[in-house]
Amino acid sequence: MIFTAPWVLFALLGLPVIWWLIRMTPPAPRSQDFPAIRFLMGLHTTEETPARTPAWLLLLRLLAAALVIVGLARPVLDAGSALPGNGPLLLVIDNGWASAPGWDLRKKASTAILDQAERSGRRAALLATATNGDGAPIAVTATMPIADLRQRLEALQPEAWPPDRAAAARALTAWHERKDASVAYLPDGLTDGPDFSDFAAALRNVGDVTEIGLEMPPVPLLLSPNAEADRLVVHVARVPDDAPLHAIVLGQSGDGRTLARSDIIIPPDATTGSGAMTLPPELRNRLTRLVLEGPPSAGSVMLLDERSRRRPVGLLTGDLTTADTPFIGAFYFVRRALSPFFEVRDGTSTALLSRDISVLLMADQPQLPGSQQEALTNWVKHGGLLIRFAGPRTAEAAGNETDPLLPVTLLANGRQLGGAMSWSQPAGLAPFAPESPFSGLTAAEEVKVERQVLAEPSSSLAAHTWATLRDGTPLVTEKALGAGRVVLFHVTANADWSNLPLSGLFVEMLRRLVAISVGVATPADKTVLAPYQTVDGFGVLNQPPPSATGLAADQFSRSPVSAQNPPGLYGPEESRQVLNLGTALSPLQAAPPIDGAKLQTLSGIGQERALAPALIGGATALLLVDMFISLAMRGFFRARLGAAGLALVILCAPAARALEPPPNPATATQLGYILSGDEHVDRIAEAGLEALTTYVNRRTAAALHRPDPIRPGETDLSPYPLVYWPITASTQNLTSDQAAALNTYMEHGGIILIDTRGGGSGEGFAPGSAEAFRRIGQALHIPPLTPLNDQHVLSRAFYLLSDFPGRFTGESVWVQRDSDPTNDSVSPVVIGGNDWAAAWVENQDGSSPYAVIPGGERQRTMAYRFGVNLVMYALTGNYKGDQVHIPAILRRLGQ
Amino acid sequence: MAKATIAAETAGSRLPPLLIAADRVAATVAQGIHGRRRTGQGDSFWQFRRFVRGDLLTRVDWRQSAKSGREPPDGWFIRETEWEAAQSVCLWRDASPSMSWRSDLATVEKRQRADLLLLALASLLLRGGERVILLRHDAHPVMHRSGLDRLAVALEGMAGEIPTDLPLPRFGAVVLFSDFLSPLEDIRALMARFAGVPLTGYLMQILDPAEAALPFQGRIRFRGLEKDGDVLIPRSETVRDAYARRLQAHQQALRDICATAGFGFGVHPTNQTPEAALLTLYAALTKR
Repeated sequence: MIFTAPWVLFALLGLPVIWWLIRMTPPAPRSQDFPAIRFLMGLHTTEETPARTPAWLLLLRLLAAALVIVGLARPVLDAGSALPGNGPLLLVIDNGWASAPGWDLRKKASTAILDQAERSGRRAALLATATNGDGAPIAVTATMPIADLRQRLEALQPEAWPPDRAAAARALTAWHERKDASVAYLPDGLTDGPDFSDFAAALRNVGDVTEIGLEMPPVPLLLSPNAEADRLVVHVARVPDDAPLHAIVLGQSGDGRTLARSDIIIPPDATTGSGAMTLPPELRNRLTRLVLEGPPSAGSVMLLDERSRRRPVGLLTGDLTTADTPFIGAFYFVRRALSPFFEVRDGTSTALLSRDISVLLMADQPQLPGSQQEALTNWVKHGGLLIRFAGPRTAEAAGNETDPLLPVTLLANGRQLGGAMSWSQPAGLAPFAPESPFSGLTAAEEVKVERQVLAEPSSSLAAHTWATLRDGTPLVTEKALGAGRVVLFHVTANADWSNLPLSGLFVEMLRRLVAISVGVATPADKTVLAPYQTVDGFGVLNQPPPSATGLAADQFSRSPVSAQNPPGLYGPEESRQVLNLGTALSPLQAAPPIDGAKLQTLSGIGQERALAPALIGGATALLLVDMFISLAMRGFFRARLGAAGLALVILCAPAARALEPPPNPATATQLGYILSGDEHVDRIAEAGLEALTTYVNRRTAAALHRPDPIRPGETDLSPYPLVYWPITASTQNLTSDQAAALNTYMEHGGIILIDTRGGGSGEGFAPGSAEAFRRIGQALHIPPLTPLNDQHVLSRAFYLLSDFPGRFTGESVWVQRDSDPTNDSVSPVVIGGNDWAAAWVENQDGSSPYAVIPGGERQRTMAYRFGVNLVMYALTGNYKGDQVHIPAILRRLGQ
Repeated sequence: MAKATIAAETAGSRLPPLLIAADRVAATVAQGIHGRRRTGQGDSFWQFRRFVRGDLLTRVDWRQSAKSGREPPDGWFIRETEWEAAQSVCLWRDASPSMSWRSDLATVEKRQRADLLLLALASLLLRGGERVILLRHDAHPVMHRSGLDRLAVALEGMAGEIPTDLPLPRFGAVVLFSDFLSPLEDIRALMARFAGVPLTGYLMQILDPAEAALPFQGRIRFRGLEKDGDVLIPRSETVRDAYARRLQAHQQALRDICATAGFGFGVHPTNQTPEAALLTLYAALTKR
């Protein structure tokens, strides 16, 4: 421990004076002339013994005074061991991308080193091993006083690219002020290329090396993801290590909301790990970046470009003027199926192929004219997906020539099933094979095929078939062609040959097909794309640094990042490309310690701790104690202790929360949620109901208290007007006790909002919950149901609502069909799958952690309004239902 | 010489207001005070009475006798005058240092109040024709109101103690103004001396309100004014009751001493009006 201002300690000599001063207590009495003093004589014998301060109190005060003096002398603890050498100090800092996590610690460590150097009166120089964004070459700064170097150090930032070991080694070799010099090195823990040994040698040549480890785990790196048909596979790399690593990758949209998350466990001794991110296509198209959860750095951000997102679909309408004629046009149904999800263009093949396009659709068109056919074939071979539909012209052409853009050879004329002149019946669909991209879709019963074109039987036909009819004839066939693929529907794209285009299955099939296509291909040319925005060392998009230069378009997949090519967005908006750190970085290698270096940790180099605040604080506390003791000794506290304590309690009382737990459940209204057993779902339900309660309390006259968790059969349900029940796939069947409790609750006026949480998400979010509810619901006395419409009281109990969205929208919500006067015609259940609670959840800062789909603030507002209506419905019954009679009443009054 | 002149002038400049104040106080009290109401030597008519054998003929009021219209000597009337014999009243006020003190509760020092009361009483007595003597050496009796100035000047130089060898007029009255805070033995001895003359009279104890109530708080070192030491009271408010008891006991003892010697005893706090004390005094003096 040293003192920064030791001369203050002389004040300790004044302590005896303080001793003499403070023992003169009580203070000198007031003097008063008084003639009748004779009567006062001897009235107060005890006071003749002078009041003395007790010795311990005297010591306490002296201690406080001593603490103040020592504190003012500004002692510093842990000043640390001296650095070797007494010449200039060379501070070498790795400021590459891997230094960004723990940059504050590095700053602190380097400040501590500079403090030490300053105390021993040394000068110092700085070497940052990564090129800075100004494009200046790496060089050791001039040797300067510590105070000047501190400013340099303040300005130093981690960069988004790795350190340049070779250049750093050259700069070290070129440094000539090495007499009695020593080196303090703050590594980032990576070799950052093959030149690390040269760098280490150059460091050793300068002088004694002190290497400061930060005791931080090595930083993982996010690698380029693979876009697969229905998912995004993300990869994380790290340096070899013998402990497993749990990494979490978040998929974020452009406004920073997290849309998906993938947990990746890298097993011990492995350097990379992968995880899938499954998203509905419309959400996946919103992803703009992947972020590795943890301290931000350039390596924890992976920008996604158009390739993994955009899939423009082209409709080869050509000169077909009737393509969009309602109900009979060739592309009428196709366009309506695709346009909600994808960018749909139409035109001739020349026009369509002149721009990047992922999928082309042809409806009953035989071969194109020579050059166009060639261009189309070329496009498919380079990764395009061509979807063709059969039709009369295809069937006719099939006999004449061989179309190379057909997956299978077709028999001429096709076949007709059913009809007035046929014995056979229209054929239905067979279930999809598991290897087909359609697997998981339900082969709808109502789909019937009346005509189709037939494939010539061959041994490989089954391998090329993705969907078949019940009789085994192929309905959808495919063939890989180069990097691309051709898919043929053996029916027309309109309802002439089958009612497949009329079914919802058609939409799902087309979406699956488009999803397996590759995204827009890179224009692999030599066009130089200028940097638009680049990622800084902390993974934030910023203006490009001055050193950034353009990059040829075909170099993006193999260029390592550097000061010249920082990671970020390049090029104009329509052909934007991204350069990521993880794309072309050599595998991560842990850097070995420098030979002969003195290894120190951040705590070991003596992180200096100024003791002055603690000492002064202690003195203040002692003086406070002394004040209280003095007051108590004068009897001040007897009457006021209680009041003071009360004031203290009031001051210290934590801020009252907005939602108080109810004092008595019988007199307080509150919502409840049935515990589903899934902790995550229960948390959402609780937070959602809390947010709804706040909303209801703010908007209406209802005063609800904090919602309660409910275990049916154990919790008394009678205080709850409304119970929310999220269903998960793993929800257990109800025991007879639980079912009885819930049935009694429903019979006596309670309302249960049953939420299967997966409606409209395409089973993507809560698979199996609908089945689970079917299984569970058998034990409940659920009355006959009807879809909730805008005539129902629930749609007008507070707000006028026409739909009832939660996180999802569009799916029917079911309520009791018949009105039951015993319970005021109130439906005992409301069943839906819109995942209302997730839409209601609000973070502390008012943001919403769960995106609503398809989205928009209005949908969330509507979700809240549905919640308010539901609460009002539960509290007031069909009170608002009387309004349906208003027109009749008015008419009668008018007469 | 010069100093004496200045002192005299200072005293003189102070006297007229004091005399005026004393006159004013006395005038207020003189209202409704009457003569001796008994027959005696005097100038003013008192009553007529029938002639009895042995009366001097020279005392017969012939005019009244003639108006009666009866036979002599039954119809003769003697004219009697009211007794107007003057009494000597000795006055004294304490001039010790303890009298020259006032607290914040009072506007005047005890000695100033004593001077005022003494002069006012003298004014009253002179109006009533009494002789007023100050209890000091070479004091001349004052018989007329014109002597009030002389009295005031003489008052200035009056000592704090009553001279022990002073001849005292017999059957006179004596009025003492003091705070009477001295030990009871001294007062008892004084009273015994008065009673031996004999004299009657009145003791007016003049107290500052602070002396009566001890209104101080906190830690106070009380200092006496007459070299009687000091005393430190850590918390004055706690001794207030004990002090009040001691003071009352002292006053009761004074009252007893006075009753024994046939004296009257009164207490006058300086925050009260002097008229009240003067009325009390005058009533007590004219009672007999």
